[in-house]
Amino acid sequence: MADPITLGLAALVLLVVLIAIRMPIGYAMIIVGAGGIALVNGPTLLLSQLKTLAYGQFSVYDLSVVPMFILMGELAVVAGLSQALFRGANAWLGWMRGGTAMAAIAGCAGFGAVCGSSLATASTMGKVALPELKRYNYSGALATGSLAAGGVLGILIPPSVVLIIYAIIVEANIVTMFAAALLPGILAVLLFLATIAIYVAIWPAAGPKGGAADRAEFRAATLGLLPVIGIFGLVLGGIYGGLFNPTPAAAVGVVLVWVYGALRGRVRLATMKTALLATAATTGMIYLILFGAELMKIFMSRIGLPQQAAAWIAESGLAPMMVMVLILLALIALGCLMDSLSMILLVIPFFWPMLMELNGGLYQGAEGSGFGMATDDLKIWFGILALIVVELGLITPPVGMNVFVISALARDTPMIETFKGVLPFFLAEILRVALLLGFPALTLWLPDMLGG
Amino acid sequence: QEHKFRLHHFLGAQAPAQTRMLEPWAEAVEENSGGQVEIEIFPSMTLGGRPQELVSQARDGVVDLVWTLNGYTPGLFPRTEVFELPTVYMNDPVATNLAMHDMFEEHLAEDFRGLEVMFLHVHAGQGIQMANKEVRSPEDLAGTSLRIPTRTGAWAIEALGANPVAMPVPELPQSLSKGVVDGAFIPWEIIPALSVQEQTDYQIEGADRTRFGTSTFQVSMNQARWDSLPEDIQQAFRDASGRDWVAEMGRVWREVDDFGIKVATDAGNEHITLTEDETAAFMDRLAPVVERWTEDVSGKGIDGTALVETARGMIEQNAAQ
Amino acid sequence: MNLAGEERRAGITGAVDRLVTAWALFGGLVLLAVIAVNLAAVIGAMVGRSFPGDFELTEMGVAVAVFAFLPYCQIRDANVTADIFTAGAGPRLLAALRALAALVAAGFAAILLWRMSAGMTDQRDYGYATTILQLPIWYAFVPVLVSLALLAAAALVTLTNALRVMRGPRHG
Ligand code: NA
Ligand code: NA
Repeated sequence: MADPITLGLAALVLLVVLIAIRMPIGYAMIIVGAGGIALVNGPTLLLSQLKTLAYGQFSVYDLSVVPMFILMGELAVVAGLSQALFRGANAWLGWMRGGTAMAAIAGCAGFGAVCGSSLATASTMGKVALPELKRYNYSGALATGSLAAGGVLGILIPPSVVLIIYAIIVEANIVTMFAAALLPGILAVLLFLATIAIYVAIWPAAGPKGGAADRAEFRAATLGLLPVIGIFGLVLGGIYGGLFNPTPAAAVGVVLVWVYGALRGRVRLATMKTALLATAATTGMIYLILFGAELMKIFMSRIGLPQQAAAWIAESGLAPMMVMVLILLALIALGCLMDSLSMILLVIPFFWPMLMELNGGLYQGAEGSGFGMATDDLKIWFGILALIVVELGLITPPVGMNVFVISALARDTPMIETFKGVLPFFLAEILRVALLLGFPALTLWLPDMLGG
Repeated sequence: QEHKFRLHHFLGAQAPAQTRMLEPWAEAVEENSGGQVEIEIFPSMTLGGRPQELVSQARDGVVDLVWTLNGYTPGLFPRTEVFELPTVYMNDPVATNLAMHDMFEEHLAEDFRGLEVMFLHVHAGQGIQMANKEVRSPEDLAGTSLRIPTRTGAWAIEALGANPVAMPVPELPQSLSKGVVDGAFIPWEIIPALSVQEQTDYQIEGADRTRFGTSTFQVSMNQARWDSLPEDIQQAFRDASGRDWVAEMGRVWREVDDFGIKVATDAGNEHITLTEDETAAFMDRLAPVVERWTEDVSGKGIDGTALVETARGMIEQNAAQ
Repeated sequence: MNLAGEERRAGITGAVDRLVTAWALFGGLVLLAVIAVNLAAVIGAMVGRSFPGDFELTEMGVAVAVFAFLPYCQIRDANVTADIFTAGAGPRLLAALRALAALVAAGFAAILLWRMSAGMTDQRDYGYATTILQLPIWYAFVPVLVSLALLAAAALVTLTNALRVMRGPRHG
């Protein structure tokens, strides 16, 4: 049999070809993953695994927040709640050049604070903000680029499904991981806003001023934020204050938005039906991709690609910090092809033990460690760095899930424009990774405060 | 190597289950076979699926070998479940592992259709770990919510007047810190991995390390794969999985458990060991779990009462040695 | 590149469309039921009463709902594709590519239907059940198999539509 690298490259080429001929991404991944498994281990094995694999994948408890938050977003759309969020942010930011795009970023950040999924954040805020950005004559590249990039805040700002999965794999404390993600998440919002400011300074036509809101509009828009803040506050407060886990929190969120919409006379049987069908379309698409990713993960594990890569790095005799940078680069490269959740699931089980060994073992303290920090801290730090770089994969070609989601909403903007529009945000993210690499305290300070 | 095996399991590569059990076992098999066998370990479900699917994966030959927690597939291993019951499992993982080994052919083998069991083992037993409520009697647990590992664990918690909550283990720290659950029914061994000491104040167990039941685990091979192996290779697996091995695993899991409670007490937690009388009060309340189990398995044509008796006898006999 | 509504609604195609939509709404109702269970659990926790089995009901319910969404996703062309490389292609080539994708979807649905039927038999014969409520898992497989049959039907509808575009001249 061919070596893992050759097989992996062949799979990669096939995946790109399938995607290029408009095969839906989920099915492209299913073909490559399933075909690969059948090729290297025989079809019988694959057919046996298919008896339960899809049901198992679709019934993962931690993923159950995804359809719920999507439904919450769809209800928010028909209830006019997302508009209220966006309108409020726009009243504060819209007067600036590029302000409407900044409001979209702020809206994504707000949504990300209750939603653990990047795709759900992108699609929900995209539905609300895209028509507005179009109305203000934003360039397609900036409009869709901001939203595709803003969507990653769904993962970066806790709660985050990917972070939960990471914590499960390395056996880290989820609350600690969430606390660690908070400051880097805020840093991401600030850098994204700065990116838009710089972008429109260079290309003023891309993001026209929205016009300052008059006093009445400013007050009405700000007041309109209150129910939103109330609902999000209850959901978030419920999670952080001890009432419930993310899934029940999402359920509460759905009901609160429903009640809000019903009180405003916006959610009725017909609009409920609309929201449910929209949820069906988005959820079905995401889960199909998750299933494809699971098959790809199995195929790659079976040919030993992650192990091979890990072995190479371990044998190279490189300095720990160099290995860390190489791992992050590898994750960025892999992110060009795969979704973040599958990537975390695929490579962390192989990379983490290696980093742990480089640091001096599971119970290593800061003294005499490879990275100058205790392994417990390394676990947190690496988790946040890995989270950021795998999330980058959502906005890089050829498989950029957020870009696909936004493109599906903005069918009049060619996907290539969206990829162009997302590039400045990609550079902002690289800057952020460098900052977090250089100053581990940005990540570790808050959990240390809360833990000690 | 002439014989390559994939061993799939649900924990991380650095978990003691891999470093102190699966890796040494795989090495022993490889050595016994004179290098004819190679076992590659896939941690963290890297070959796909959820932990609940491990049993099917072994049965269907999706992987060659699995290590899994029997409780992930509740009711699938009714006979083996006897060792999970509170008042059957008390405080001795070594004797319990040996009892499972000795009883396997005659009493347990029927549970494992389509599987060739390499060995069975338990962990050191369920303790009660409470966020901030001191517990010294079953009454102290009334109305509280506790995370459970298995269906027998759920029954035990109900018998103690508390509410069982099934949730993935990784959700536990968050749920404890937020008060979603008041405590958990798990061994000390889990403490370092999830930093449970940070979310709990009390670790409670009975006198003489008496626990409130345990969980059983299996390392099993696909039946057809096993049947296709030449005798000397089969023997290499058998020799690595005998009485000495399961006894050693009892000691390893006890040791890992001891390390866990040390982490908790070093962090300032209170490790409560109940008095003989207090322990007896718990065991009285837990006794009906055995009846509930007996009734449940009688529906599957199993004489639960006899099995409980045999299991208790075998554990006692092995403990005496 | 959706076909006109009237065209889609005709005959057997329209019947499949309505069935698939109704089935997606059924999935939506299951999702709402899961939400109700979680809400009950939250309210129960506030008054000190737990809701036994909320986790496992959530897992089962979401799985059933998601499978029910797949046929709708197919018939509404909601699965994401990349259009970078084929941005300049003509309608007939695009229809051919859509036909290929529909063929893959139909094959996927058929294979999964076959395999998960076997899976259901396994689940029932070995007695797989949930931890607390001890609900047999195979119950959940029944609506899942219906979903997969509908996915196959939906894929065949998209396939016929694509083939029609490939062959005939396009109308406005
Ligand atoms: Na989030
Ligand atoms: Na990408």
